[in-house]
Amino acid sequence: MKKKILPYLLLTPMILIMGVLVFYPIAATFSYSLKYWKLTAPNDIHFIGFDNYINILKSESFWYSLQNTVFLLVLILFGTTILGVLLSLFLNIEVKFSGVLLAVAVLPWALPPYVNGILWRFIFYPGYGLMNKLLIGMGMVDQPVEWLNSRWTLLFVVSIVVIWRSIPFMALVCLAGRQSIPHELYEAAKIDGANVPNIFRRITFPLMLPFIGIGVTSTSVTAINVFDEIVALSGYSDLGKNILVESYLTTFSFLDFGKGSAVTYLVMFLAAILGIFYLRSLNKEVEY
Amino acid sequence: MRKKLVSLLLVTAMSVTALAGCGSKADGTEGSKKEAQSITFMAPDWAVPTDEQLDEFTKETGIEVVVNEVGWDDIREKMVTAAAGGQAVADVVEVDWSWVGEFYAADWLEPLEVSDEVKADMPTLETFTKDGKVLAIPYANDYRLSYYNTEQFEKAGITEEPQTWEDVLEACRTLKSTGTVEHPFAIALNAEEKTTTCLMWLAYTMNGVVYNEDGTLNEESVTEALKYMETLIQEELVDPADKTSSGMDAYKRLTGGSASFLTGPTSFVSRSTNPEECSVVGQITPILTPGKEGKSEVTMALPEALGVTKFSKNKEAAKKFVEWYTSADMQKKLNETNSAIPTRNSVLEELINDDKIQNAGAMLEEAKLISSPFPDGIPSYYAEMSNAMYNAINKMALGELTAEEAFKEMDTKITELAGQK
Repeated sequence: MKKKILPYLLLTPMILIMGVLVFYPIAATFSYSLKYWKLTAPNDIHFIGFDNYINILKSESFWYSLQNTVFLLVLILFGTTILGVLLSLFLNIEVKFSGVLLAVAVLPWALPPYVNGILWRFIFYPGYGLMNKLLIGMGMVDQPVEWLNSRWTLLFVVSIVVIWRSIPFMALVCLAGRQSIPHELYEAAKIDGANVPNIFRRITFPLMLPFIGIGVTSTSVTAINVFDEIVALSGYSDLGKNILVESYLTTFSFLDFGKGSAVTYLVMFLAAILGIFYLRSLNKEVEY
Repeated sequence: MRKKLVSLLLVTAMSVTALAGCGSKADGTEGSKKEAQSITFMAPDWAVPTDEQLDEFTKETGIEVVVNEVGWDDIREKMVTAAAGGQAVADVVEVDWSWVGEFYAADWLEPLEVSDEVKADMPTLETFTKDGKVLAIPYANDYRLSYYNTEQFEKAGITEEPQTWEDVLEACRTLKSTGTVEHPFAIALNAEEKTTTCLMWLAYTMNGVVYNEDGTLNEESVTEALKYMETLIQEELVDPADKTSSGMDAYKRLTGGSASFLTGPTSFVSRSTNPEECSVVGQITPILTPGKEGKSEVTMALPEALGVTKFSKNKEAAKKFVEWYTSADMQKKLNETNSAIPTRNSVLEELINDDKIQNAGAMLEEAKLISSPFPDGIPSYYAEMSNAMYNAINKMALGELTAEEAFKEMDTKITELAGQK
């Protein structure tokens, strides 16, 4: 009997913490999302079923934000994965200043996202920001490019900023993966006469895949949750807003807690789909 | 056995630590003597009184004030989060003019007592009054006043001060065509709150009306203002960078010398005389805002005020603090220490006459023209309405919409919001 109780007893603190900090908010947010709940109408809070979800899915604003979210997700995911993996391979090369290079590579990760956005805002400033000065100096353009004035260039700039911040984590995870591959495998491959591309394709990449998977999962969550960079670069304008900005505006700016909770649930749903997909891919066995 | 004991101890320690945060303060009894004599005050940096001023208040009343300095943007969010949970974020809070409608609808502010004498002396009080209830008392006066660079105007051969918006447009064209200033008109065009207020004061000073009695937009007046803005954008009389830079950066082009005309905050009276903030000191003159046929007979105020939260447990002490903070004597002191422009016209007049506010120009005269463009006070849906307005204006500035289309876009949203009220 004692043996049966003890494991549950040991798990109790974690169950309590998870319950209070994770499961309760999830359940509470869902119940809010089923209500008409505007803070400016405190006496008119009532149950409306799935009306908030229906209204959101019918609104142009939501689909516009979703398009922006997907665009950012794709760009950030590709950019971060490719550049992160390349950087990890570069950092794996033993040179005199490996440690320093690693520390420098990690720096963007340590920067708060909003500061990161402000920093890049100066670079892409529509008038004579650093990027425009460079392009004009090199004779590539005559007039300053208004980077933040069009939807797609703005989203492209947001992607660059987030990729810059996300690469270090991806590179570190992949570096750990790369360094965990036994040397013997490479020696055996060399003896068998394998060339560099083949070694990469048959040994390095497959064995790094679970680590890339972890990086991709983390990057996907980052890409869906981009907020500070968008606000720093374009404020709360319609132009570059993603679902998270939409959720923030609905909840905290327009004080519609019911609808805002529904938007939050949709964001969570999207993140959960990606999470399940990546967790499944992580569990696959590696063959080489 | 020993291992089990250690594990159990660790589990107990963890549980107790986790639960510790859920407890309440031991001495947090409501109405305890100590608590009743202490209030919290949440305000942005520019509203924080000096330690000497606060000590003086404590000496006078026995009430201690704990100041919580918070960024202006964060105050509303903190207030919303706390109030949603039925808590007071502080006893006394900053209340911006644009928040008052929603705070009133949400019932987060305690009505305040104000004498008729004060009401007559403080025209911006109207902004914070809903259904006859004064919800907050303004401490920092900000109303729209116009400024022009006399030297640049003269250089372009313009000797007369502009009287109407048509005069301003013609002057800007001359300033540009003579090569005096490339983008002479400074106005906010980015997708942010200041852009909404720019459209409001432009329509208001042009036609004396922005909103109809039912809360919808006045089509004739707002469309005319939008077309005026569109002309400024199309003729590049405003800097293209203003479409994405912050409203304040756009305004600052006047003090930077790259713009010749601005209708903007009253803070530019002092900014224009400060060499650290202005590269054209001595060239900027504050004037009455132009109108359609002559000078406008109205101007719009965007003041900041202090209110007492409904959930405060120290309401009386908090009210005393607000009364003290907005008194005539404190307004003079706060002008000296915090550069706050007084909301009492009598104090403003005294400071201008004593030359404590320099280069005031038409500042006092304009203060007497303050009135609200909202027939029924600031609406509870102001934030959503403003979002629709600034996004439509920004789209027009970026060439995605015409003035008519921008009007239609904002009108659809505002009509829907006004209908839901």
